Parts: sequence; C-alpha cells; structure tokens
Amino acid sequence: MDWDVVWESVPLIWKGAGATVSMFAWALVIGTAGALALALMRLSAAKPLQWFAIGFGWLFRGIPLLILLFFAFFALPELGILLSPFLAAILGFSLWTAAYQAEVIRSGIIAVDPGQSEASEALGMTKAHYMRRIIFPQGLRIMVPPFTGNAITLLKQTSLATLVTVPEMALLTQRIFSNNFKFVEPIFVLGMIYLAMTSVLLIVSVAVERAVSLKV
Amino acid sequence: MEWDWGIVGRTFDLLLLGTRLTLVLFFFSSLLGTVLGLVLALMRMSRFRLARWSSLFYIWVFRGIPVLVILFFAFFVVGRRMGLTSVQAGSLGLGFSAAAYIAEIIRAGIMSVDPGQSEASEALAMTKRHYMRRVILPQSIRVIIPTYMSNSILVLKVTSVAVAIGIVELTGITRQLSNSTTRPIELFTAAAVLYVFLTTVIVVVQEVLERRFALKT
Amino acid sequence: MNALVQVTGLRKSFGDNEVLKGVDFEVERGEVVAIIGPSGSGKTTILRCINLLERPTGGRVEVDGRVVCEELGDGTMRFAERGDVREIREQVGMVFQRFNLFPHMTALDNITEAPKSVRGMSKEDANARARELLDSVGLGHKADAYPLQLSGGQQQRVAIARALAMEPALMLFDEVTSAVDPELAGEILMVMKRLAQQGMTMLVVTHEMSFAADVADRVLFIDHGVIVEQGQARDVLTAPQNPRTRAFLHAVLDRAPMAEDDESTAGAGEEAGFGGSDLFSERVATDPEAGPDDG
Repeated sequence: MDWDVVWESVPLIWKGAGATVSMFAWALVIGTAGALALALMRLSAAKPLQWFAIGFGWLFRGIPLLILLFFAFFALPELGILLSPFLAAILGFSLWTAAYQAEVIRSGIIAVDPGQSEASEALGMTKAHYMRRIIFPQGLRIMVPPFTGNAITLLKQTSLATLVTVPEMALLTQRIFSNNFKFVEPIFVLGMIYLAMTSVLLIVSVAVERAVSLKV
Repeated sequence: MEWDWGIVGRTFDLLLLGTRLTLVLFFFSSLLGTVLGLVLALMRMSRFRLARWSSLFYIWVFRGIPVLVILFFAFFVVGRRMGLTSVQAGSLGLGFSAAAYIAEIIRAGIMSVDPGQSEASEALAMTKRHYMRRVILPQSIRVIIPTYMSNSILVLKVTSVAVAIGIVELTGITRQLSNSTTRPIELFTAAAVLYVFLTTVIVVVQEVLERRFALKT
Repeated sequence: MNALVQVTGLRKSFGDNEVLKGVDFEVERGEVVAIIGPSGSGKTTILRCINLLERPTGGRVEVDGRVVCEELGDGTMRFAERGDVREIREQVGMVFQRFNLFPHMTALDNITEAPKSVRGMSKEDANARARELLDSVGLGHKADAYPLQLSGGQQQRVAIARALAMEPALMLFDEVTSAVDPELAGEILMVMKRLAQQGMTMLVVTHEMSFAADVADRVLFIDHGVIVEQGQARDVLTAPQNPRTRAFLHAVLDRAPMAEDDESTAGAGEEAGFGGSDLFSERVATDPEAGPDDG
C-alpha cells in the first residue's frame, strides 16, 4: 500500500461525507416519523390501518434496498415523478428505515409487561395517557439497542446511493479507481472513514442505552 | 402511460438466470459465513485473550464497514491478486461480511443456554470440548435458528449489492433489462416479487426447523 | 484414615463481597453432614468450592487425600491441574437446586452421557447401569421421557441417578427440594434417606429441618460466612447453644426449638415416608427465607 496515495485520497473521498451524512440524517428523521405512525397503526383497533402497516412492513422488508433505490431512480420517472438522485435515494432510505424501525417500536411496546397497562387501567388512566406516560417510556429501553443498530445499518447503506449516481463517498472512491487506477488505497480510506463513523454511532448508542436504563 | 406486463414473460428466462446467480451467491456466502461465524463465536468465548481480541476486532471491522466497501476490497484487491472471477470474489466478500453477524448470533445462542448446564457437565467431570458439543451447542441451536434465519433473509437481500462489482444477479439483470427495454416499472416489480418469493421460502424453512428442534414436552 | 473431605480456612469473595470468611470442617467416610443457615449465608458456595465450580479465594480443600486447592505462603491460591480437577469431580457427585438436567436428552441419556464420555463405559454397560439406577429412584418406567415431560420431583430423582452413575465417593446436595412443589419433596428426600442408609457420604445444604434431624449425623449452622455452631444433629437442632442458631431455628420452625414440643409436632408430620421422624416432622415450606437462590 502506497501511503502517499492514501493521503491524496483522503480529501477526494471526504468531499462526499456531506452527502453521506445528510442522506443518513434525512432518512433517519423521515423514516422514524413514518415508523412511529406505522407502529401506532399496527397497534390500533382499526383493521384497515393494521393491514396497511403489516403490508408496508412485509413489502419493504421483503425486497432488497437496492431494488427500492432503483425503483425510485429508474421507474418513478416513467410515472411522471422525476426525482434528483439525492431525493430518490432519500425516498428509498426513508421507506426502508420506516419499515424496519416500525417493527422495533412495535416490539418494544408489546414487550412491556401487560400488568403495567392493567395497573394503569385499574387506576382509572385513559389509554392515551398511560401509553404516553407508562408504556412508551418503558418500551423505549427495549427499543434503543435495535433502533441504534438499524441506524448504523442505515449509515452503511447510504453507500448504495453510489449506484444511483449520488456523489457520496463511495462514488468518489470509484472515481479514483477509474482516474488513477488505484484500488487498495482509496478502498482503505473509504473503509476507515466508515469505520470511524459507525464507531462514533456505536459509542453514542451505548451512552443512550445507559441514559435510558432502569435505575437499580 | 401503458402497462406492458408481457415484458416480464418475454424476459423471464433472463430473470431466472439472474435468480440462479443470486442463489449461488446466497449459498456460498451463507456457507462461508456460517463456518467462519462459528469459529469466530468460539474464539470470542475462548480462554485465550488473543483469540478473544482477534475475534472482537474482526467483528468490529466487518460490522463497521458497508458491504459495498467489503465487496470492492474482495473484487478489486483480493480478486485481482488471486485471479478470482467476480462471482468467486463476490461470494468471498459477502461471506466474510455475513460471518461477523453470524458469529454474534451463535454467541448469543450459546450464552442463552442456562449456565447450570455447563455447571452440571463440569460437575460430571466432562471436558469442555465434550460438553460444548454434546450439551451446549445442541441446546443453543433452538435459540439460534430464528435469528439465524432472519439474518439469512438479510444475507439474501444483500447479494443484490453484488451488482456494484459487475455481477448480473437478479438485481443486475433487472437493471440491464430495464435500461434496454425502458420498462423499469414492470421489471423491477417482477424482481421484487421474485425476492419476496425467495424470502418467503426462507420463512417456511425456518418454521420447519423450529418445529424440528423444539424440546419435547 | 483421613477424613474424606477436609476444609480448612476456606474463604471466597465475589468482588468486595466476602461470602465465606474462613470455614473449617471435615466429613468422614459414610457420614451425612447437613449445612443449614439463612439465605445468603454462604451454604451453597461451600459446596461449589469443593468441586471447584467456584474458585476459593483462600484456604484449603482436600477430597480423598487429593488437594483441590490450597493457599500458598504468599497468599496466592494453587488449584489442582485441569486433569486432576476432572478426576476429583469423578469422585464428587453434585445435585443442583434447579436439577440442571440436559433438556434435549432422555432421562436415560442424561444418566449415560458422563459414564460413556468420561469413564469410557460401553453403551450397553452404561444403559444397563442407568436402568438399575432409574429403578432404584422409582423411575424405571421413565427412561425414555424427556426432562420437561417429568415433574420437578421426578427430574430431581433423575438428577440424583445421573450423579450416582459416576459412582462417586461423595455426594453434594444443594437445596435439592427448594425448586419443587412441597408435596413432591418427600419422594426426593426418601431417595436421599435410602442413600444415606446405604452408607453414602453426603454433604447436604438444606432447609428441610426434619430431614436434617432424621438423616444427618452432624449439622453445621452457617451465618454470614462462618460456622456459628456445629455438632450432633439432635444437639444443634434441639438444644442450640448460640443465640443466632436459636433465632434461625425459631424463625424457620415458627416456634422455639425445644425438645418439649416433640409430642405436639410429631403428629403434624405429613411427609411421605417420614412417619418415623420423631423430630421436626413439620416441613418448612413457608420459610420466607427459603428463596430459590442462596446467593
């Protein structure tokens, strides 16, 4: 490995970090909002809402993320919806995030001891009240580890946006392949940047887990 | 615009060819991932610090880096030096990536076995090697199957990333066909249906295995 | 001849928590010794130090003339080599509170696994011996049952047979009736009583005061990691000298541990097979301290 090439590659690849991080952030925010809505639909009494949430999860967790991205990028224009590569990628990532995080939120809520809602009902609380004050805070503890796990997966998967021509880090790396015929060094740099980013997320997730854990 | 679902029928042979390649990647990466994952899991629980640390390091690196980057490395670096075909390099990269996740699944399964089981085995003077094989691993299988199988669904879907190194598996062939026929909606829908079919097969296999390994009560 | 088990100055800490603070006792061949005491007093830890399921942090343990562990002059511990530990464990059978049967194996396979793998016994011999043992614990008809198909009392009897299959010189019993329904404890205690009558050396951690009175030759009362009182079973149980022993017995028996009560309690004995017990026939199922785990 040629360390000069490594150092030259760093700024070239780092230019794509902004796109990587902003795709990650947008998809996480939009996807989590969608996930919350889906989880509540799934737990609601209305059958059509339940079915919609189940169908959504089944569909978007059943097919590869790359198919979603390609669909948003190649197929939507046929329907008259023309998105920039960046927006197409965010759409795909948000749908993926919503489908996966909805499952995390739902299983967190149903994992809370049913005795908790029974006790709340016996105390005369309304469902809206005890869901918000009793159930959700307890479910949160169960949700945090898989939620942050999915977030880390999302960050890594933003690299797939290179296949729909978003100029993020992996695309800029491939540009070095074709311009300089160098492979080991740019791949090494790209890998290290991702490893650093996911490690930071890992540390954050451990801190969040501590913050929400039960005081004993 | 007009639909032309006939395109799916006319290109179905090619879609199946892509599906076959997807299954090849899935099979070899699962095989490599499982064997290597078991080794990593056992190293992780070894008495030797070096073994524990190397396993931990491997898992940290391979879980911290996108599959795409691992495939780049497998194809452009390892594959070129060793003269591998793209499918060989792709299976290697996907397998090494899967191993990091499977190792954690196997470890969690082993840890979930009641510590009383190894204590009872020790009290009966069994060697660790013996009771791991006869007592602990058979019981951990039950816990491992559900998570292992849902991970297999991810492994199957992740094979699609292999388009990035020029492998024309199901996603790759679909992209090519949609470019040449300008029928992306119909073709990507067909690909999605094929993927959902394959993941459903995995779910069915999971059900069967769970029943097969259930404890007799 | 030396005692089968010799424990001197045994200490064990978990982090900052010193559970055993220097325990000395011996178990002679053929003797049945009961260890009693409140939850968390360190009773279970003593047993686990004898077959090295726990590594003592101080003191010396010897089984059948073999050194299990000893404290060296500089305060460090020396433990038996791995191979020696296995040989010692062949001599020491253990029965656990929560049975720890292998749930994926039949009762028969549970019993034969160790004789086949550790002692190299042939499958035929191991099976024949296992069937004898199952008969002797009254479960000859359950050889092909899986643990989860058996009641707690039956599982524990299989566990006893499993330990006996190794033909140990010493049996350790760790609160073996605490995890079973009270009405099933009697069948386990019967098996243990018979074993004692056959001359097995036994070290028994128990909450069953009637069993201790009936079967044990000696009783050790442990509290806060030390032996507070020990002696002949009847002496300790009926005329405890130490106030802590007295308080403990008072609490678990829900009355003063006095011999005068004999008449009134003998009739209260409900336990299967323990009609002959003239002392403490009352079971201690309501003991609030008899938690499932003895720290």
